Amino acid sequence: MNFKAPIFEVKNLSFKVRDQIILENISFEIFTGEYIAIIGPNGGGKTTLIRLLLNLEKASSGEIRLFGKKLSEFNEWYKIGYVPQRATLVDETFPATVEDIVKMGRIARRGIFAGMSSQDREKVRDAMQKMDILDLKDKMVGTLSGGQRQRVMIARALASSPKILILDEPNTGVDVVSQQRFYELLAKLNKEENITILFITHDIGVIADDIGRLFTINRKATICNDPKALLSCDEVSDLYGIAAHSLANHKHEH
Amino acid sequence: MFEMLSYDFMQRAFIAGLFIATLASISGTFVVLKRYSLMSETLAHSALVGVAVGLVAGYNPLWMAVIVSILAAWLVEYLRSSFSIYSDAVLSIMLSGSLALAVIIVSLGGAFNNSLFSYLFGSILSVSDADVYTIVAFGSVSLAFLLLFSKELYFIAYDEEVAQTSGIKVKFLNFLLVTVVAIIIALSIRVVGSLLIGALMVIPTVAALQYRVGFRNTMFIALFFALFSVVFGMSLSYYFSLPSGATIVLSVIAIFILSLVINRK
Repeated sequence: MNFKAPIFEVKNLSFKVRDQIILENISFEIFTGEYIAIIGPNGGGKTTLIRLLLNLEKASSGEIRLFGKKLSEFNEWYKIGYVPQRATLVDETFPATVEDIVKMGRIARRGIFAGMSSQDREKVRDAMQKMDILDLKDKMVGTLSGGQRQRVMIARALASSPKILILDEPNTGVDVVSQQRFYELLAKLNKEENITILFITHDIGVIADDIGRLFTINRKATICNDPKALLSCDEVSDLYGIAAHSLANHKHEH
Repeated sequence: MFEMLSYDFMQRAFIAGLFIATLASISGTFVVLKRYSLMSETLAHSALVGVAVGLVAGYNPLWMAVIVSILAAWLVEYLRSSFSIYSDAVLSIMLSGSLALAVIIVSLGGAFNNSLFSYLFGSILSVSDADVYTIVAFGSVSLAFLLLFSKELYFIAYDEEVAQTSGIKVKFLNFLLVTVVAIIIALSIRVVGSLLIGALMVIPTVAALQYRVGFRNTMFIALFFALFSVVFGMSLSYYFSLPSGATIVLSVIAIFILSLVINRK
C-alpha cells in the first residue's frame, strides 16, 4: 500500500476547556490507505480529537493540516466522510427516506443551482449497493433497525466519494451480529476501495486482525504501530487497567 | 364562496393569505425540523415592536415590522451560536421582552386602539393594495431563497454538525433561514396577526409529520394543509365576522387533530 501522501498532519496539538487540559501535545500523521482505530477510556479525549480534526472545535495550540492545508483554509470537505457517535439514534419522526439521507452525501459536491446529475444519482445508488440497503431506499429511516441505520449513515458518507471515513463509536445502538458485519464492511472498503479509515471503538479485540495502527488516547496519545503486537502493547493494558489478553479473548466471544 | 370574492377587500385578503400560507408552511418545515418552533413566536412578537414604532411614529408598520423582526432574528441567532445559553431560554426572553416593549411604546404613544388589534389577531378588512404588493414582492424573494437552499437547509435540519463537516456553510444558512422567517412573519401579521402566525408556520408541518412520509411529501402536505386552512379560515372570518387569524389557526388545529387521529398507531 502507498502510505506516502499524508491526509492528516497533527503537530503538538493541545486542547483546554478553561483550565482543564483535555488533550496535551499530540502529534501524528495519517496516510492514504491506512486503517486506524482509536481507543481509550471515556472522558479521555477521543471524541474531542475527532472534533478537532473535523474543525468542529478550535485547538488551544498546535496545528492540524488536512491534505497539506491548514484546517481554516481547507474547503474540500466532501473528501471527508464523517459518521458521528449518535448517528444511529435518529429522530424517528424525522421525514427522511433512506434515499433522502444518502443523497445528502452529494449536496456539498453539487453547486447551489445544480440539481442531481446522473453522476450524483449513480454515486448514491452505488453507495446504497455497497452498504446493501438498495432494497430499503424508500423506507423511512426511523423504521429501520440500529444495524440498518448504521449502514445508511455510512452510505451517506460514502456517497460523497470520500478519501477518508471518520467514525465515532459507530456501533452505539447496534446488535452484535450487525457489528461483526459492519467491521467486515469497513475492512472491505479499506482494502478494495483504498479508503482511509479512522474510527473510535471499544471493540479492539474484534478488529485486531484488520487494523494497521492503534491510537490510544487518554489526554495524551500513544500509537501502536505493529498490528501483530497490538494486543500486547503495554499502553493498551495500562489504559484500560486490565491485561491485554482479556481484550484478545473478547474477540472469540462474538 | 364565490360571492365573497366579488369584493375587492376579499380578493386582496385571499391573494395575501394564499401567498402567506405558502411561505409560512414551506419555511415552517425547516423551522419545525430544526426545533426552532418557538422562534416563529418570538419573531412575531418582535415584529409587534416594529408595528408599535410604526403606529406611534407614523411610519409604515409593515416595513417597521420587517426591519425589527430581522434584527431580532439576527440577535437570537447570534446569542444562540455565540454564548452558552439554551436556545429556548433565549427565545423565551426575547418573546416576553418584545411584547413588553411593544405595549409600552404603544401606551406611551397613545395608540392602543383597533389598529393594533388588527395586527395582533389579523383582519381581512385591513389588507391594502400596498400590503399585497409588499407581501408578493418580499415573499417571492424569500420563497426563492428557501427553494434555492432547500437541500442544504434540510441537511442542516437533519444534523447540523455532519452538514458542517461536509462543507455546508451552516452559520450563513442559519442566518439566512432566520432572516427569511423574520420577513415572512412580519409580512403575515396583516392577515394572520402577530399572536397567531407562529401557529400557521408550525402546525401544518407538525400535522404533515404524522403521515410519516419523506421530506418532499411532508412539505407538500404541509403546504396543502396551510392553503386549505387559509381558504377555510378566511371564509369563516367573512361569514361570521371573526378575526381571520383566529379562524385560520383553529382550522389548521382541526386538521392537526384529524391527522393525529387518522395516523394513530
